[in-house]
Amino acid sequence: MSATLLPEDRALDSHRASRSRETKRYGFFPGCVAKESCKELFNSTMLLADKLGVELIELTAASCCGASVVNDVNRDVARVLNARTYAQAEALGLDDVITICSTCTGHMRAANKELLESEERMDQANAILGKFGAKYNGGVMVRHLLWMLIDDIGLDNLRKMVVRPLNGLKVAPFYGCHIIRPENVNGWESARNPHSLEDLIEALGGEAVDYAGKTRCCGFHVQLEKDGIATDMVGQNMRMAKDNGAEAVITPCPLCHLALDGYQQDAGARWGRTDLPTFHLPQLVAYALGVPAEKLGLNKHLVDPREIMVQRELIS
Amino acid sequence: MAKIKLDIFRFDEAVDTVPHRDLVEIDAPETITVLDALETAKAEVDGSISFRRSCRSAICGSCSMNVNGVTSLACKTNCKDVIKDDGTIAVDPMPNFQPMKDMVVHMDPFWDKYARLKPYLQAKDKDSDHETERRVSPDDMKKLVDVANCIMCATCYALCPVVSVDPAFAGPAAIAYAYRFIEDVRDAKRDERIAQISEDYLWLCAHCYACSYCPKHVEPNNRIVDVKRAAIKDRVMMNERGPRHALVVSKTIKQTGMLAETEVILGTIGRFNVIGLVKALAPLGPRMALRGKQPPVFVKPIPKVDEVRTIFEALEVPVS
Repeated sequence: MSATLLPEDRALDSHRASRSRETKRYGFFPGCVAKESCKELFNSTMLLADKLGVELIELTAASCCGASVVNDVNRDVARVLNARTYAQAEALGLDDVITICSTCTGHMRAANKELLESEERMDQANAILGKFGAKYNGGVMVRHLLWMLIDDIGLDNLRKMVVRPLNGLKVAPFYGCHIIRPENVNGWESARNPHSLEDLIEALGGEAVDYAGKTRCCGFHVQLEKDGIATDMVGQNMRMAKDNGAEAVITPCPLCHLALDGYQQDAGARWGRTDLPTFHLPQLVAYALGVPAEKLGLNKHLVDPREIMVQRELIS
Repeated sequence: MAKIKLDIFRFDEAVDTVPHRDLVEIDAPETITVLDALETAKAEVDGSISFRRSCRSAICGSCSMNVNGVTSLACKTNCKDVIKDDGTIAVDPMPNFQPMKDMVVHMDPFWDKYARLKPYLQAKDKDSDHETERRVSPDDMKKLVDVANCIMCATCYALCPVVSVDPAFAGPAAIAYAYRFIEDVRDAKRDERIAQISEDYLWLCAHCYACSYCPKHVEPNNRIVDVKRAAIKDRVMMNERGPRHALVVSKTIKQTGMLAETEVILGTIGRFNVIGLVKALAPLGPRMALRGKQPPVFVKPIPKVDEVRTIFEALEVPVS
């Protein structure tokens, strides 16, 4: 599969992405949730990077991306916060930044697009960054780990690296909105009919389950606004996945993970029990590449994935 | 000429209890639109196939339907872009609506949400009090033209996952249309309009961008954010969970550089609102704690957090 890049990415891609591909050094933006309630995502990402032989250098002084929420109070703040992160990445010579959250991906890319498209916005950001001696020169590209796996490592290489195939485990992909939409911000694959996760599941020896919910919303961002809304959105999507034969779910987004993993039990009352364990993307890849299952934090999940893994003879 | 097989949802509420599907084959060039294909099927194969259409040019907004599971205007969707390898195209009525006959649905809930907006200019005085027209500067007009392109096709409403689980949500089109009047300098009911759309669950938008598929590029997703900013700027209905959530997220980022999960939950629901917290968090909170997955109570500020605070202050970002 060839990646579809945005114009600004395409112009920069020739020297940057290929350089990271060769040096195997990437800037790494873990995001808040991987540092707070989903530490198992952070840990399994680092274990996966070791297996892949790539270096993920964490941008430790980076702030939150804005989480799609700060836009609601101010049109500029998310853009300038992310410009600060990009300035840090540039200063460290890490212009290829990898994220592990769909929401971070979408909002960091949106900010970058706004900055690269408008000199006025770039000047506004740099005027503020200048107060503490920082400057963003527009040289950073943000990609999700999923895209890096497919573009830089490659599905064929991944297939060769698999030491513990998933034994036909039926996995439903759950993309999470912000890694595919809006199309003019992400654009790496079709938002209406993405298939990167399916390709990855099959490369790992699993069977991808198709269902209409795979590109729908998990409800995470409105879980606090009105009780029960996220629960219903989770129940609706997981019902479709289960009815189409899924035994587990994989998601590139920790927010989706929290919603799907957390609310399924409560959703059972209206949507019927689904109990689908929800893997973080790097957990399942790291497992197939030989990272010991007990290091992946699977015991942290509310719907325990170890049961189906025992049934499929993936762990004993 | 190619064979196009339309896999059509068939249902007539007057006689059917359950829907069925018909496979209708037509000979036509692949370059025709899905609407043209349906017209051909109706004219040449089965005159009872029902769907709404009028302009055939993406202006009237009548022919929204699901094409291979994605809501689109049939007149703006080319067969060659959607036809599957086996030559079929699946055609269904829009989701989030009650089907009436085939692709025709009951649109009433959608129109009701428009009607609640009072979707007409409410100026502070009468036209007859003015000797000249009410002038709007080009800059002020620029804010409104995108939304004025809305053709009320309901594609965004059909795609909205929140509408699908909570029909009380106004939906993307109505919020975008509220924006059209909220930002109209001639309108005198700005705050009443913001309050009304807040009551219709403005803040229940899930940030999913499904409505970014709008065939007329109204971008309801961006207009929803604009209305939320207007609500915060004018301080309308600030004690709702939505604005509280947005502000506490901003506050924790300003304080720590991070989105501090525990503080966001307490700040959104209210730290002294014990019943609210129990209702929102039980039984999930204890279940997460049992697995060692509860968010940390305190979040350590990131290095150089002063820089983040400088950004918030330079932009005068509200945090309470």
